[in-house]
Amino acid sequence: MHIDPLRAVTSDRLALTGLAILSVIVLMSVLAPVLTFFPPDYYTGQIFSPPSASHPLGTDSVGQDIWSRLLFGARTTLLVAASVAILSTSLSFLVGASSALIGGLYESFWMRFVDAMSSIPPIIVMILVAAYIRPNLMVMILLISILSWPGGARIIRSQVLSLKERGHVYASRTFGASWGHILKSHIAPELGPLLTAMMIRDASRAVFMEAGMGFLGVSDPMIISWGKMMQQALEFTYLDVWKWWLLPTGLALSLTLVGLCFIGFSLEAAMDPRLMPRSVEGDGEKC
Amino acid sequence: MKNERFGGASIINYAIALATIFSLNFILPRLMPGDPLHAIYGDEALVAMTPEMEAHLIRQFALDKTWMDQLTAYLIGLLHGDLGFSYYYRDQVTTVIMGALPWTVLLTTTALALATVIGVILGIEAGSRRGKLLDSGLVALLMFLGGFPMFFMGILMLLIFGVSLGWAPLSGAVTPYAGLVGVDYFLDLLHHLVLPVTALVLVLVGDTFLITRNTVVSMLGEAFILTARSIGSSEFAVKYAHTGRNSLLPVVTETGMRIPHLLIQTLFIEIVFSYPGIGLLLNTALYSRDYPLLQGILLLVTVLVLTVNLAVDILYRKLDPRVRYAH
Repeated sequence: MHIDPLRAVTSDRLALTGLAILSVIVLMSVLAPVLTFFPPDYYTGQIFSPPSASHPLGTDSVGQDIWSRLLFGARTTLLVAASVAILSTSLSFLVGASSALIGGLYESFWMRFVDAMSSIPPIIVMILVAAYIRPNLMVMILLISILSWPGGARIIRSQVLSLKERGHVYASRTFGASWGHILKSHIAPELGPLLTAMMIRDASRAVFMEAGMGFLGVSDPMIISWGKMMQQALEFTYLDVWKWWLLPTGLALSLTLVGLCFIGFSLEAAMDPRLMPRSVEGDGEKC
Repeated sequence: MKNERFGGASIINYAIALATIFSLNFILPRLMPGDPLHAIYGDEALVAMTPEMEAHLIRQFALDKTWMDQLTAYLIGLLHGDLGFSYYYRDQVTTVIMGALPWTVLLTTTALALATVIGVILGIEAGSRRGKLLDSGLVALLMFLGGFPMFFMGILMLLIFGVSLGWAPLSGAVTPYAGLVGVDYFLDLLHHLVLPVTALVLVLVGDTFLITRNTVVSMLGEAFILTARSIGSSEFAVKYAHTGRNSLLPVVTETGMRIPHLLIQTLFIEIVFSYPGIGLLLNTALYSRDYPLLQGILLLVTVLVLTVNLAVDILYRKLDPRVRYAH
């Protein structure tokens, strides 16, 4: 059965809400230099100043413009989300599809590997490694991707296994098509919606992990991260600053996650007629 | 199709997973540039360290010997239940962790129990009114809440009910030095528990709710429900005794599978509320770079997660005989 993920998403109110939320975040990050007067690391000369015309969200404990940091934080979030989504889903696809097509010892090896890796919550390994190496953005993206792909590989493997027994694939094989050709022109298009759903799940896991590491203070201090901003702001809840520092940052992070969650849910609902949302067990996020 | 997840293979998987964490714990400090003792104990610890202690520790970790000897020393230490010494708390890591663990257990079990009960009841009510306002409203609301990262839900609770309204305490598990006993102590405990538990429940309840609701929806057309209706069972009995009881199986397994997720989120919630469990301990360990403590905590969480997963695997097979034949 072909499912057009685009149609499923554009005809569903839930998904449209999610898309609308994400578009705002994307706009924030793209237009960041236009929407603010100050670079995110610029020292404005006054700390804890309340919202004003020049500082829409005031300044933080080290005198940086919070609105600027919020905008540039969106860039970090989206960069991590997109990179991890692409990298991790590619890895899942590579391992999952090749396992299903090659089979044998190769398949057993990878599936055992995948099972063992999915038994540990990725965030535990992430905290452990990050505590020692304080990863920068690049390393963080790589780490999250390495920890995220196994769950998806198993799903793709079982899909490819069932796809390769389908009629048209069978027909193609009788005409002498190579596995490479079959993978490219018959299996990959069928997997489209599944891969999209997987990328969304990977993206939302990545957003949570990046923010979580920032919140725990174990990522590179140079990264402008919403999680890091929340960790800093949480120390000053006895002042009024939380209203324009902690709250907007947390809301931005939550809305990004909620947006991804809505799109993912409507995609998964479109693919699974029984409407059973299932998430990979034991990790940081919900969707 | 053969499924390797169940049966003996899963135990091997858990063993591999555990071995991975052990190896990371062993390898990471030794991969760091500079003196491995610095990496194992953190720079701050070495300030307070005397030459004799340093010599003793180098001997204990076999740091002057080969990697093989170091690995043996590490494994022997683990087998003795020795997770090292926390210089920050000046105590054995095991002792420090065991002091904090009960608070985390209290928090997670309370939240899990409440979220499951509330989720099941709401799920049955919404599922039996499929498509009505209550149903679609609850689905939208709980999905919205479920998308929130738990630590921000905690922060919201803290800001609204703690900071702004002042209804609940901002931190801790009991009022310090209040000398409360008996009922007063219990009430004080509850008062501190309310906000963190509410935050956890609000995010958690969505999953149980959706699973229950979807199972109930798929069950409403079944023959045994029609039978129950036709023999004149009350609406309440149809909803809870017939539909509800039969939809418990997916709820039980889903709840089991959610425990690791809950445990990790609790760590973050504890940091938000300064609740003295292992999450706050983890934060202190990260902040003060107390690496032995950090490794001990993450090892404990891994063991807990793997144990829960294994238990759920076994329970699942026991609860639903179909699983044994299906795979």
